[in-house]
Amino acid sequence: MLFGSIVRFWSNGWIAELYEKPHYFFPFYGFEFVKPLGEYTCLLFMICGVSALLVAIGLFYRVAIVSLFLSFSYIELIDKSTYLNHYYFVSMICLLLMFLPAHAYFSVDAYRSRALLADQIPAWCIDALKLFVALLYVFAGLAKLNSDWILHAQPLRIWLPAHNDLPLIGFLFNYPWIPYVFSVFGCIYDLSIPFLLWNHATRPFAYVAVVVFHGLTALLFPIGMFPYVMMVTALIFFSPSVHQRIINQLGKWLSASSQFLRPRRTYRYSPGVKTAILTLFGLFFIVQLLFPFRYLLYPGELFWTEQGYRFSWRVMLMEKAGYAQFMIKDRFGHQTIVNNSRFLTPLQEKMMATQPDMLLQYAHILRDYYAKNGFHNPEVYVDSYVALNGRLGKPLIDPTINLANEQDSFKPKAWITPFHDTIYGF
Amino acid sequence: MPLCHFLELMRQIRWKQIGFAGILFGMLWACSGGGTDTPSPTNPTNQADSDRKAMLTNIADNIIVPAYANFKTKLDAMTAKSDAFSAKPDKASLADFRQAWVDAYTEWQKVELFDVGPAEQYTLRNFFNIYPANTTGIEEYITAGSGSFDVPLSYPKQGFPALDYLINGLGSTDDAIVARYTTAADAAKRIAYLKRLTTQMNSVFTTVYTQWTTGGYRDTFINCTALNAGCSTGKLVNGYVLNYERYIRSGKIGIPSGAMTNGTVSPDKVEAYYKKDLSLALAKTAHQASVDFFNGKSVKTGQEGPGLKSYLTSLGAKDSQTGKSLVEIINAQFDLVSQKLGLLKADLSDDVKTNNTAVTQVYTEMQKAVRMLKVDMTSAMSITITYTDNDGD
Repeated sequence: MLFGSIVRFWSNGWIAELYEKPHYFFPFYGFEFVKPLGEYTCLLFMICGVSALLVAIGLFYRVAIVSLFLSFSYIELIDKSTYLNHYYFVSMICLLLMFLPAHAYFSVDAYRSRALLADQIPAWCIDALKLFVALLYVFAGLAKLNSDWILHAQPLRIWLPAHNDLPLIGFLFNYPWIPYVFSVFGCIYDLSIPFLLWNHATRPFAYVAVVVFHGLTALLFPIGMFPYVMMVTALIFFSPSVHQRIINQLGKWLSASSQFLRPRRTYRYSPGVKTAILTLFGLFFIVQLLFPFRYLLYPGELFWTEQGYRFSWRVMLMEKAGYAQFMIKDRFGHQTIVNNSRFLTPLQEKMMATQPDMLLQYAHILRDYYAKNGFHNPEVYVDSYVALNGRLGKPLIDPTINLANEQDSFKPKAWITPFHDTIYGF
Repeated sequence: MPLCHFLELMRQIRWKQIGFAGILFGMLWACSGGGTDTPSPTNPTNQADSDRKAMLTNIADNIIVPAYANFKTKLDAMTAKSDAFSAKPDKASLADFRQAWVDAYTEWQKVELFDVGPAEQYTLRNFFNIYPANTTGIEEYITAGSGSFDVPLSYPKQGFPALDYLINGLGSTDDAIVARYTTAADAAKRIAYLKRLTTQMNSVFTTVYTQWTTGGYRDTFINCTALNAGCSTGKLVNGYVLNYERYIRSGKIGIPSGAMTNGTVSPDKVEAYYKKDLSLALAKTAHQASVDFFNGKSVKTGQEGPGLKSYLTSLGAKDSQTGKSLVEIINAQFDLVSQKLGLLKADLSDDVKTNNTAVTQVYTEMQKAVRMLKVDMTSAMSITITYTDNDGD
């Protein structure tokens, strides 16, 4: 078994995604030590890019994959407003790859050290990756089993008519039943695709479905690289012979020896290492299985409070827009309304306005700023207004609460106003 | 980076879209043949109303271009009266000039909201209505007899607010004002400055207007039907909401009343400060122009046509809890704002001091309208607000 080619494909996809340099950042809870590196941020991206390249060609693989995992995750952790599920996915795949011998075959490392060269690796190495991808799809599908998605076709009902000017299919989006078809199809797709890909007989059809589905999402929604990442990732489900053919072709171009292409050796872990890795992977999957369900521990509607929303493969589920106007006061009668653009980039402002934990972080940024600029123990209040999946806007945060005194934690946030509606399902 | 660019390019290619579209078409055809369990259509969309090209065409041909034409008439008339006053400054020509200025300033309120296309490109508003006027700066420019009108610092030294100062704010009586243009030592320079102001206004406006009429922008506008930030609907709605939030709610009401600034009342920051009795009329006109634009009302006939209202209706945007349509809710809020505006007196600079609660109530109701336009409306239309808040500055 082998998957050098897969690594090669997807790792090239996201080498360069540059960050703007905003004034303030929103680190993740528990990862506040992750700070942007100022002018060295660029260097971090270079490390990330070089590591990705090294991983792809399989040179200094172990070092490169560790540094890729660390640098990519670090970049991801700098600012919440850029959080995307597929960045998290890439991070987690890198984490798994750190323990796998992806460099054993068709890599520079294996070329330099023939002792490493092997065209067979234990099946569980590949299966772990497949399982992880399957987990992602199933969770994404489960998340769609809710009343907004299935019964009200939200948010597709809002998003699809926006494309009613496309050639050929545009007019379809004017029909109210179309979003329902899309919703149901999307849900069935997510829930079934991993199994269809896993099964040899259905695999070619399933892969066509992958390309069509993700191609469509790329066409209709501004979700960047995700469709392409998934299209390439799904290749891992294909049989060794398919990958062998690709590699043979590549090998021919590179005029590699048949000894290199067909070493007929198996990569072996020593029993102790194997046990350790399998135990770690076991733990990893238990955590991955449970983590998306942590929202059950919180009161209130998940889509509204977003407590337990991230890192759970919930993609494209919400049309959520908001508006947040902050007021700073102190007991000496100072009072001012905050101009958000002085502190945040448009993207940060947009994300902050609908996500309670970011609203709180921002409130603390404001508290600290105004404490240094003429206010005595500033109090921070927010006039927030958020619309979710076609519902009219409502205040998201209790406007009478002084956010300067509230602390972020994993505990439920009592200052989020109740949703006063029910979304049934997962 | 190059790959991202490449993907971006790929996405822009129309044939790819067509390919996917074809595949999807086939799939949907297969699906609908198979009889999926989708609910039967209850509310068939009125396709004519969700047609953005029809909406943009109505907005261009029956709203924006005729409104610009109306404004041009008033601007030309004002320029003529300004020239007449300059040729023979006396009380009669001053009164004529002043009336023409009032008419043009009022008409301006009906075009300021179109922050799209050439108006956005040339930042039309900056050359017409940035207030309070910088009187010290204006006097410096007059004395110097020169000075750029294109740098941001010069915006409060030109346009209607500068004319307001020059024809209403130079003395307590008309005789005193006329004297500044006749017997004062710098009278000639002052007259020259009037000419520079009207020339600048005409030149900037003509640039914008001719792009619509003969420059081909009208066709660009109606054919850019996508909803992304770069196309007409997105820009139009962004400019419209921004105008309502920042230049009507904040500029005309929120900042002078102190509702946004620590309760500190700033009577000198009202629009048309030197004219005294015009500020409320301008605010009402601007608010009404926003209402009419929302409803797609033709500037030529007063009839409603395809616009934001009909588009929202075609999308079925409503409050899912009460079933009330978003259009009704927004119009009801607009009515409430009009009512509250009706309680104010003509001179807002006086009203913010003596009747502040009533002014603040207008701000509160306008703020509710802003939220509906900025959050509920854009969310229902799948439009992203791309401008950033600029409150409290």
